[in-house]
Amino acid sequence: MSISLRGVTKRFGEYAAVENIDLDVPTGALMALLGPSGCGKTTLLRIIAGLETPDEGTVYFDGEDATLWPIGDRKVGFVFQHYALFRHMTVFENVAFGLKVKRRRERPSAADIRKKVQELLSLVQLAWAGDRYPAQLSGGQRQRVALARAMAVDPQVLLLDEPFGALDAQVRHELRRWLRRLHDELHFTSIIVTHDQQEAIEVADTVVVLNHGRIEQAGIAGEIYDLPTSAFVHRFLGQVNELPVIWRDGRAYLGPIDISSSDMPAPGAEKQVALIRPHEIEIGSRSSGWPATVVAVRVIGPIVRLDLCADGQPIHEPLEAEISRERFEAERFDLGQKVGLRFRRWQVYPAAA
Amino acid sequence: MSRLLLIASALLFLAIFLVMPLLAVFVQALAKGFGAYFAAIAEPMALSSVKLTLLVAAIAVPLNLVFGVAASWAIAKFDFRGKSWLITLIDLPFAVSPVIAGMIFILVFGAHGWLGGFLKSQHWHVIFALPGIVLATLFVTFPFIARELLPVMQAQGKDDEETALSLGANGWQTFWRVTLPNIRWGLLYGVLLCNARAMGEFGAVSVVSGHIRGLTNTMPLHVEILYNEYNYSAAFAVASLLALLALLTLAGKSFLEWRQPELRRAARMPQDRTRRTNS
Repeated sequence: MSISLRGVTKRFGEYAAVENIDLDVPTGALMALLGPSGCGKTTLLRIIAGLETPDEGTVYFDGEDATLWPIGDRKVGFVFQHYALFRHMTVFENVAFGLKVKRRRERPSAADIRKKVQELLSLVQLAWAGDRYPAQLSGGQRQRVALARAMAVDPQVLLLDEPFGALDAQVRHELRRWLRRLHDELHFTSIIVTHDQQEAIEVADTVVVLNHGRIEQAGIAGEIYDLPTSAFVHRFLGQVNELPVIWRDGRAYLGPIDISSSDMPAPGAEKQVALIRPHEIEIGSRSSGWPATVVAVRVIGPIVRLDLCADGQPIHEPLEAEISRERFEAERFDLGQKVGLRFRRWQVYPAAA
Repeated sequence: MSRLLLIASALLFLAIFLVMPLLAVFVQALAKGFGAYFAAIAEPMALSSVKLTLLVAAIAVPLNLVFGVAASWAIAKFDFRGKSWLITLIDLPFAVSPVIAGMIFILVFGAHGWLGGFLKSQHWHVIFALPGIVLATLFVTFPFIARELLPVMQAQGKDDEETALSLGANGWQTFWRVTLPNIRWGLLYGVLLCNARAMGEFGAVSVVSGHIRGLTNTMPLHVEILYNEYNYSAAFAVASLLALLALLTLAGKSFLEWRQPELRRAARMPQDRTRRTNS
């Protein structure tokens, strides 16, 4: 099922949780709504689910106006961050719930329900857990039960609200990959809400970044990291170093490095800032580039993170650089070593943004 | 050492103010032997007061059950204007003296009250009759169930209900299959307390009942009349029934707390409960 939003606005009192949102989710897509807390991503998901009614705008399901459809009629499966399993029911009864509450005419026979629930439990690798109660399962297992339960009613859309937010890193990672595989096998339309940029990029086809109730940028998961269109998205999608752009005699500098180019925006009155990701900093010999001192070295598995204090920069704001372990082993940067910095890539934004 | 001292003083206090009076009730009740005890209870006026008390509780508790569930459901699961005002209103009977509650009903329903003329023309008896006693009891026991359910429901949030709706359940199915099982222990607990108070209420009922022997005397009122007539052993015999009810309520309460750790925590740490309510 394809979903479209046109001019969707939702206010809570004076505060606009989402404002004038246009969004298209094609059939079979896996889209991530990404943003800091309070950006409106959950409200947007709840509007799509039918758990909130927008104050303005229209929600279309397959081109039909579904704005006022009750949640039960939307064929959506909704998964909460805290699982929302029915604690007084066994895992089996939880998954069977959506089938058992159907009207008598549409309700499958007890044997069919049993078969379907068993299939779903196998799909989420919990075939053994049917008789357990939710309290007896781990967080990751509970979330898989919640997914199986949502899928029992054959939803055409799966809506996940920070589904892995309450799990530890290892389980998160496994469940993300598993969700991706499941999506590829079953081809429903999925929307996942997350504040974790890595999760969004890892799991989704398209990523929509929200801020203050508006869409900042939407793009293909692999590209949005490299091509942010605003300083907010640039900062939100990963670590950045921020350096003021200094104009001298009509040329732009970062420290002593001349970054002038023909497509560089004219200085004007406002200040500019350059955003540089840690892996875009190149560390060379003292004689080339911006003179700097290594003030911290941290080896994190395959990568090594270095804090570098560049000459003329405040000492408490060292630049953060990332290099590969191999590179580090070959060059062996030591604490206090004098080096020269160059920037492979940077992006300039107005400083106010 | 100081801990022992604290515990000892608490126990001493409880012994003097709770255990001794309770024992005294039973000692007094049986002062003239078992024969007199049972005679006092089996006496027609006493029996009628027991019946009336049971009848009043049987009407008031279910009504407050429905009200309590509806109110806490509305407050915990929906946002609406005047919500905090409604919460305050629910607490009103806790703040108002029961005697005043009784006076309010006299003022509204009494012979010279606002609705008195109308009621008289319809030959409906409210004050000095069963309806008045039920109304007064309803008012006084109004907050018990709602107050017990509210923190439970607020702590549980709306996720379960929204999930049920998303799975195609209608409102009724959601209530019976998801909400009610989630709150059942808290509900039972509230009903227990509500019932104890409904049977034991004195002040408000005393004002509206008119003390008509064999007709509008509930157990607490009957105890008072017997006592005022210097009929101590009979008074304490009937009182012992009420005391027994209190003990049963306590036993039931402990059982529920033992059965449901969440209630135990709520009962032991009221400050924790308010924190959960606010979050």
